Amino acid sequence: MSAEFELTRNITIGQYLPTGSIVHRLDPRFKLAAFVILILAIAVCNTYVGNLFALLMCVCLFPLSKIPIHYGLSGIKPAIPFIVILAILQLLFYGGIADGGTVYFEYGFITITSESIRLVLVSAMRFVEVIFLSSVLTLSTSTTELTHGMERLLGPLEKLKFPVHAFALIITIAIRFVPTFAMEMEKMMKAQASRGADFGTGEWWRIVQRTKDMFPIIIPLFNVALARAEDLILAMEARCYIPEAARTRYAHYTAAGKDYAAIVLSLVISAVMLGIPW
Amino acid sequence: MTQPVVDIQNLSHVYMQGTPLEHQALDQVNLQVAAGECLAIIGHTGSGKSTLIQHLNGLIRPQSGTVVINGIDVSKPKVDIKSLRRQVGLVFQNPEDQLFEKLVGDDVAYGPFKLGLPLDEVRSRVHWAMELVGLSFQELRDRPTFALSGGQKRKVALAGVLALKPNVLVLDEPTAGLDPLSRKELLERIRHLNRAENLTVIFVSHNMEEVAQLADRVCVMANGRAVYDGTPRQIFGNQELLRQHHIGTPESVDILYRLREQGFAVNPQAFMPEETASEILHILKHGGGS
Repeated sequence: MSAEFELTRNITIGQYLPTGSIVHRLDPRFKLAAFVILILAIAVCNTYVGNLFALLMCVCLFPLSKIPIHYGLSGIKPAIPFIVILAILQLLFYGGIADGGTVYFEYGFITITSESIRLVLVSAMRFVEVIFLSSVLTLSTSTTELTHGMERLLGPLEKLKFPVHAFALIITIAIRFVPTFAMEMEKMMKAQASRGADFGTGEWWRIVQRTKDMFPIIIPLFNVALARAEDLILAMEARCYIPEAARTRYAHYTAAGKDYAAIVLSLVISAVMLGIPW
Repeated sequence: MTQPVVDIQNLSHVYMQGTPLEHQALDQVNLQVAAGECLAIIGHTGSGKSTLIQHLNGLIRPQSGTVVINGIDVSKPKVDIKSLRRQVGLVFQNPEDQLFEKLVGDDVAYGPFKLGLPLDEVRSRVHWAMELVGLSFQELRDRPTFALSGGQKRKVALAGVLALKPNVLVLDEPTAGLDPLSRKELLERIRHLNRAENLTVIFVSHNMEEVAQLADRVCVMANGRAVYDGTPRQIFGNQELLRQHHIGTPESVDILYRLREQGFAVNPQAFMPEETASEILHILKHGGGS
């Protein structure tokens, strides 16, 4: 109850935890590439043992980066409804559309096969793995580093007229403002609660009423967001920001042995995951 | 002091408890406020002022220690939080951000409607609250909120809280960011609420002129503790304390301290502008410099 309004506490995006571990000190370009490789491998791998191995590796990342594991666990909590709904849908409907596997149960349109159970379990594990990975990535990398890394990795796309810099800027601003708006929203909720508002106390099926309850927060929040956007534009223009101008860089990264090692390690882990046949 | 309206005992609060970012915002705070009093809370950013006032209407529940408002113990888990919030009206910093209805009258009416009052009662409360903050009910109730000036918007927000008819009004930096004229007018309104409507007023401020003008009592916060509690006269007369906690002084007090440094025998507790003026007159007439 006392944590009723503590929104900022539950937001792990952009929450950098400086522990100075080896994961923190990796070159952001290489770190990002390594994490992308791992996430791709997780997306492809659909074996039990492969995913268990990936899960183990993800758990090991926490002590390696000196981040308490409960940060990763608290990231899972809000995802649980999605995982559960996804699991139910897969369990009910996947068996019917996919061939193969042993049929365990059949009733009407519901068919549960060994394949659908595999999908359910593997998807749940994938979810947890990706949440762990992204938690470690954001907790060990400041947002500036993250966007620098991303901008550099996407650099080659510039040749295809892809607006890499603008894209990186959008991401930076978006991530930068998540905690700001969370705080803003927290303040708004408190202010309206002080005027007698209550949120989420109505019955869940009275969707219209519950949506209306949110208006006193959403409308001022939009106002604040627009006002802040205008301030930001002014501040940037006052410093002569021109979107398409050529710019030099403040941060220069030089890759060291540990950065190449991270790439090799992520490739090895991916190879093991995909190589395991069960 | 008989039966304080606000009674805070040994209140402590830690933000982000159990994480590496944990931060002790309040540390064993004791504070009592009597009915009808006007208390100013001053202190630096991060000294725990905002955390303290959010305890007053149960937005934050006590982690340790107790907060009792008019006999309602906020630390009890089953406390009726809605009736508490009816008694303690909390006006946040920049409250004009929280307006959301299209029309001024509707926005002020939000609180009373949430209390489930009948329509004519809501209407009379909106009328009462708007007039109280100096907004004409006839003229402004059907005005769009976005068409108001900053000062007017803030008054609308204040009226929105007053429409709940609280006994205790808590304001977080009520005049921050206002132009001098609106600032002066708002202060007048708050003083009127305190003196004429007999509302207990607690306000946080960085503006010492404001504190000097308005407060009966001042509580100085530093590092989550209430380090000093006294009348404005005691606090502005205590140069040691002012230096130690980097508290600014009203200009009138500043002049007195400077005169004293120059060797004039003045009483630095005479902090009201009129008193300062008479001190200066006294010097001019009788001399007395070194």
